Amino acid sequence: MRRILILATLLFATGAFAAPLKVVTTISDLASLTKEVGGDRVDVQSVARGYQDPHFVEPKPSFLLLLRNAELLEVVGLELEIGWLPPLLDQSRNNNIRPGAKGYLDLSNGVEIQDRPTGTVNRSMGDVHPLGNPHYWLDPANAVRIAIQIEKKLEELRPADAPYFQQRLNDFKVRINEANKRWTAQLAPYRGAKIVTYHNSWPNFMRRFGINVVGYVEPKPGVPPSPSHTFELINMMKDQKVKAVIMEPYFDAKTPQSIAERSGAKLVVLYPSVGGAKDSSTDDYFKLFDSNVAKLVEALK
Amino acid sequence: MDLLSFLYLPFLAGLILTGIHAYLGVHVVERGVIFVDLSLAQIAALGTTSAYLAGHDLHSPVTYFWSLGFTILGAAIFALTRVHRETRIPQEAIIGIVYAVSAAAAILAMSKAPEGTEHLKDMLVGNILTVSPGTIIKTAILYALVGIFHYIFRRRFLAVSMGQQIPNLKLWDFLFYTSFGFVVTSSVAIAGVLLVFSYLIVPSVAAMLFAQSIGKRLAIGWTMGAIVSALGILASFQYDLPTGATIVCTFGIALLLMAIVWAIRRPRFAA
Repeated sequence: MRRILILATLLFATGAFAAPLKVVTTISDLASLTKEVGGDRVDVQSVARGYQDPHFVEPKPSFLLLLRNAELLEVVGLELEIGWLPPLLDQSRNNNIRPGAKGYLDLSNGVEIQDRPTGTVNRSMGDVHPLGNPHYWLDPANAVRIAIQIEKKLEELRPADAPYFQQRLNDFKVRINEANKRWTAQLAPYRGAKIVTYHNSWPNFMRRFGINVVGYVEPKPGVPPSPSHTFELINMMKDQKVKAVIMEPYFDAKTPQSIAERSGAKLVVLYPSVGGAKDSSTDDYFKLFDSNVAKLVEALK
Repeated sequence: MDLLSFLYLPFLAGLILTGIHAYLGVHVVERGVIFVDLSLAQIAALGTTSAYLAGHDLHSPVTYFWSLGFTILGAAIFALTRVHRETRIPQEAIIGIVYAVSAAAAILAMSKAPEGTEHLKDMLVGNILTVSPGTIIKTAILYALVGIFHYIFRRRFLAVSMGQQIPNLKLWDFLFYTSFGFVVTSSVAIAGVLLVFSYLIVPSVAAMLFAQSIGKRLAIGWTMGAIVSALGILASFQYDLPTGATIVCTFGIALLLMAIVWAIRRPRFAA
């Protein structure tokens, strides 16, 4: 009996019996990547659902509980969550996951950021993120950079599981590299194709696969389409033979639909986040790209 | 247990809102200016937007004075446009017009100063779930001051709202709308327009079913507001729903139940 107890204590101390690390992420993509690295040693939940606009999230009581019990909070940063996370974080009264604390991980620090404004940002530029475009997770190369940072943090919080996390990270790198080759090959015939997107959510994605974003449905980021801008956009799209209008699922389809019809382009809904689709077609990071790449290929044919 | 520790701040906010709004609601319903709070909140938002457009920071004192200035302007408009005896234009029409025009003007201003729609939303969609202790204390002090002011001059305020003719009528009207604007501007920032509207109107309407005197109506309104706040917040945590909207729907259900009770108890005409 005594020996069993000692054995149990030892196992517990080495972390073999430790409860999974409670991780909360702001968006579902970070949750998916954390699962890739953390496997069954983490219990990860995302605040925003994949079908929600991560700029605006309606606070619900369960979010407070989620944050209250979290041991690690992962955020996109670059002010993406600035509109809703700070009051929730204040109210959750969990000092372990505040900015600067050990349990807070801002993933924008080690990734490649697009559209970092040079010079001063002013309000006439629209809802520009002064720190750069926060939609950086939509690039497999950045997914690797994100996963590396997550692995480091998991190791720091659960040193006993370090070999497990390292092995999973390496495995993930191999799989994402293979998948990236496949996606690149699928889109290779359309390199240089021109598209228009609704919001500027896709600079990393399109740059990775060599697609040219020549305009936006929004006249300025965060500003709804205006008549004169829409008119100019349609003319420009006809001139430049733009083949597709990309929109996120949480915007109103009316304006982009009519722009697509009048300019002869196709309207495609691509999902900027894991779990955005109603079915299971975007349920993890790999499926998300499979689905988006396939739809884009279909539209550009 | 953990969940309960999150309940008490929203509940405290709910009680403070009930305290002042159930009282002001009696005036608003007596006056028949049901949508005046939306209108004043919108004018205040326009003031904030204009300050923002003029280059001031959203949370700076200057911006606050702009919004206050616009609110006072709105109060002046409403004080001067009591039901006009010659034209018989109802005041509710003026209130509606002021609402629509100031909402549209704010949209125009924001289209020039983007990053905008987001802030416009912020101004009219407070969130009672994440209210901070500091805000609660500040608001409680402000409402207490307004409450004391109204208590001191209660006879005059009541007389004006009941439509009696007293000396300096327009001045008292103006003071009423100004103090009202003060309250609504800060409560909308905490709880959002929908919820503030409910705290203002529903307790007062429900009380009218059961009582005539102002004192009794206030007692019923306050009790109802407190109970509905508690039930709404509990339901929001129980079913994980957005807190403000849940309280509004709880107000609706409570009013419906009270109306049913009233209908059953109502003395019927003798056959």
